[in-house]
Amino acid sequence: MNKPVQAGGSLPSLALAQQQLIKMPYAAFLGVSLRVGPDGLETSTRSRADLIGNTNLPALHGGVIGSLLDITGMLTLVFLKALDQSPRLIDMDIDYLRSGQAQPTLGRAEIVRGGRRMANLRAVLWQDDPERPIAIGRLQFLLPKTETTRGGLEVSR
Amino acid sequence: MVLDEADTGPGVAVLLPGAARLSGDDQDEVFHTGVILATLDNTAGWCIRDHPDYVEGTSMATLDLRVDFVTPASLRETLRVRAVCEGFDGDIAFVRATAETLNTKVLIATGQATFMLGTPSGPNPATPANPVGGSLE
Repeated sequence: MNKPVQAGGSLPSLALAQQQLIKMPYAAFLGVSLRVGPDGLETSTRSRADLIGNTNLPALHGGVIGSLLDITGMLTLVFLKALDQSPRLIDMDIDYLRSGQAQPTLGRAEIVRGGRRMANLRAVLWQDDPERPIAIGRLQFLLPKTETTRGGLEVSR
Repeated sequence: MVLDEADTGPGVAVLLPGAARLSGDDQDEVFHTGVILATLDNTAGWCIRDHPDYVEGTSMATLDLRVDFVTPASLRETLRVRAVCEGFDGDIAFVRATAETLNTKVLIATGQATFMLGTPSGPNPATPANPVGGSLE
């Protein structure tokens, strides 16, 4: 899904994505881990009692699902664009499609459009079956400033 | 997060003090955006339970949630998240929510969510055997 095609000519960097993950204590609290599969970067999170929002079902908390979409999108962006600084999430829009069961949750994202200052990503979470997503998200990130975008050199917007 | 008992409305307000494990960046020490999102979602659910037409015990599920992250928030701050239920018809509830810093009143995030009411409240049948393919209906 997140094919290794990106602007700037850099190669995808799992090391930079791992480094970004370590820098986010909240991601560590959720227990997010990373791997690169045939379809690109994948996040994986085990279910835990304190991540459950509805204890009767039981179902993962909507906020946890939203957070996993956020983290999956951000780490995919860092991975694909080999960013050494954090992009900033500006806004996101989540559709909750199915309740998340008390089982591992996997995530993937793709860059819909990667510009010099902004990136638009689509992220998806699933459990047993990638064809049965539990949630999808649209995310807009502001990219870290680089030599070409710093100092007002960019004229148009 | 705790309910802001002293709050006089509108809607429901919740206080979220900063804590190290909620950090989005261990250099900048700001709230992770996901933490703000989760608190907005939770507070939105609570404000529906506070709606006069809400029947006690009705379960609900978030259908969608949109969040604008207006300003990064330092972990030294406490956030006040307020949610107001703007529409309620028994099946669906519409909520708007904001997060701001408690003392300096800086707007941190705004959110808008839709909830489905009366969702199943018991354990789901195993998902592969569920022909409808959904669990929110």
